[in-house]
Amino acid sequence: MRNDKVHRLMKAWPLMALLAGCGGPPPPSPAQIAARAATLRPADAHLAGLYERSCKACHAEPRANAPLAGDRSAWKTRLAKGRPVLLQSVLAGFNGMPAGGQCFTCTPHDYEALISFMADEDAR
Amino acid sequence: MTLSRRAAIGLGVGAAGAAVVGGMVGRQWSLDREPPSPAVTDAEGRVLWRNWSGIASSYPAARAAPESEAALAELLRTATAPIRPVGAGHSFTALVPTPGTLLSLDALHGLVDHDAIAHQATVWAGTRLGDLGPALVAVGQEMLSLPDINKQSLGGAIGTGTHGTGAGYQAIHGSVKAFRLATARGDILECSPERNPDIYAAARVGVGAFGVITQVTLQNRALTRVHKRAYLAPLEEVAAGWPTLLKAHDKVEFFAFPFSGLAAVIATDQTDAALKPRGPDQDTETLLSLKRLRDLLGPVPGLRRHITHALMAGMPAEESVDDSWKLLSNERPVRFNEMEFHLPREAQMAALREVMAEIERNHNDVFFPLEVRSIAPDDAWLSPFYGRESGSLAIHAYYKDDYRRLFGAVEPILRRHGGRPHWGKLHTLRARELAALYPRWQDAMEVRRTLDPEGRFLNAHLRELFIDG
Repeated sequence: MRNDKVHRLMKAWPLMALLAGCGGPPPPSPAQIAARAATLRPADAHLAGLYERSCKACHAEPRANAPLAGDRSAWKTRLAKGRPVLLQSVLAGFNGMPAGGQCFTCTPHDYEALISFMADEDAR
Repeated sequence: MTLSRRAAIGLGVGAAGAAVVGGMVGRQWSLDREPPSPAVTDAEGRVLWRNWSGIASSYPAARAAPESEAALAELLRTATAPIRPVGAGHSFTALVPTPGTLLSLDALHGLVDHDAIAHQATVWAGTRLGDLGPALVAVGQEMLSLPDINKQSLGGAIGTGTHGTGAGYQAIHGSVKAFRLATARGDILECSPERNPDIYAAARVGVGAFGVITQVTLQNRALTRVHKRAYLAPLEEVAAGWPTLLKAHDKVEFFAFPFSGLAAVIATDQTDAALKPRGPDQDTETLLSLKRLRDLLGPVPGLRRHITHALMAGMPAEESVDDSWKLLSNERPVRFNEMEFHLPREAQMAALREVMAEIERNHNDVFFPLEVRSIAPDDAWLSPFYGRESGSLAIHAYYKDDYRRLFGAVEPILRRHGGRPHWGKLHTLRARELAALYPRWQDAMEVRRTLDPEGRFLNAHLRELFIDG
């Protein structure tokens, strides 16, 4: 019985893969994500200044291992923790993220806005 | 520490295999716990400031980022003391924490002017080193030397004596031809060998205790292309050949891996070869694999050494060719705490051997490599390289690990060999001990007292360094 189920699933697999392919464009490649991160800049001038001088050093640099700006997939898992937890991690530091993201004039409100920008929330 | 992806994966597989054998879940949980964090705001609603590694912190009453030199000068007259300038927060020592005013120069950044003939450039001190590379490219220049990490601000890097490596290369402050200093009284002083020479000598490496450096004129050079080669070799062979390596390469350093008997040599030389940009970061993967080996085999150092050596030995060399400023600094996304001393170069290898023996005998929690570099002498009064060829030795501890026992055991070795501590890296020396290491200490202190008689730039740590210790 169990073998039959497995057999049926295996036969259906090419069809499932084909259907999955109809669900929308393929996800961007790491190179595409990195290329886009290098060009992104907040529209707001104040925020752009903060981003350019602090966040961008890691969040537009793949070698820094930080979630890249505009990489919705990477940010989705962070946002799933909830905004308060994410803000706590930003302010206090967590894993590779240094406290305050090395932006020492950023306010908590700035951090909220920078998270929204990097998570590409406006485009969702 | 650059190693190939295949080699790093090999390490990872080896470590994972050991994980299956070990299965020490409780130990793993203990090793991976995030260190406790201070509250993100204090009782009065002040927001936490914390350094890069997380061990220095405070709740500043005010934060300021003046947008002009004039605004900065006015602020220094009126702001709540202690006024502490902050760059990127990369110092491990408590240079920055203040209950008073946290002063960022982030708004004072970028190129001010340049001299295309002399290859000099005047730069705002708030410029991050990572941004300075492309800014200088625009005028056909590059810095003579760069540190391993380039997130720091120029002002912070100079003020702490931050350095690169290479027998003929001074630390970054060695290429400072002149600077402008904003004082506690709100004056702006031009400082160079010709103008205010004593302040130029004393405040160049001044940890923000003499005033705030606003602009710096750097001696640069025309853009160069370099060939960078990273390769593994037996540690003892590298240590014995260190003087030869220094002569053979324009810039060279090595990372000594505890519990492996191996070292990674990083040599950089000018070249006309075709461009070969470096690939994706492999250092982090390698480092985390070494951590996994530590986690699982730490209690059995003999087995750990055997397996680590077997997995690392035979790794192929990694080579890249690119503009110098793109290859000299690295991303270091794994946070750590660090102690670094600068020793007379002739004592460097003996100190390294002693430190390595101490680590392998008593500190099986260490998995970061030791970084070994060379720096040419200079004449800044508080420069750790003042008047002598120096060899540096840097010891790192993962930010989740307790660094105190390790650094407590290593520091006496480094001091016994005549070491001077890096101002931004952990040490326990205070005024009395420091005064004995610096021939012009009293002269520097006199300049500091004249510039800031009320000690408006001194926080608790700096008072211990310069007054009470």
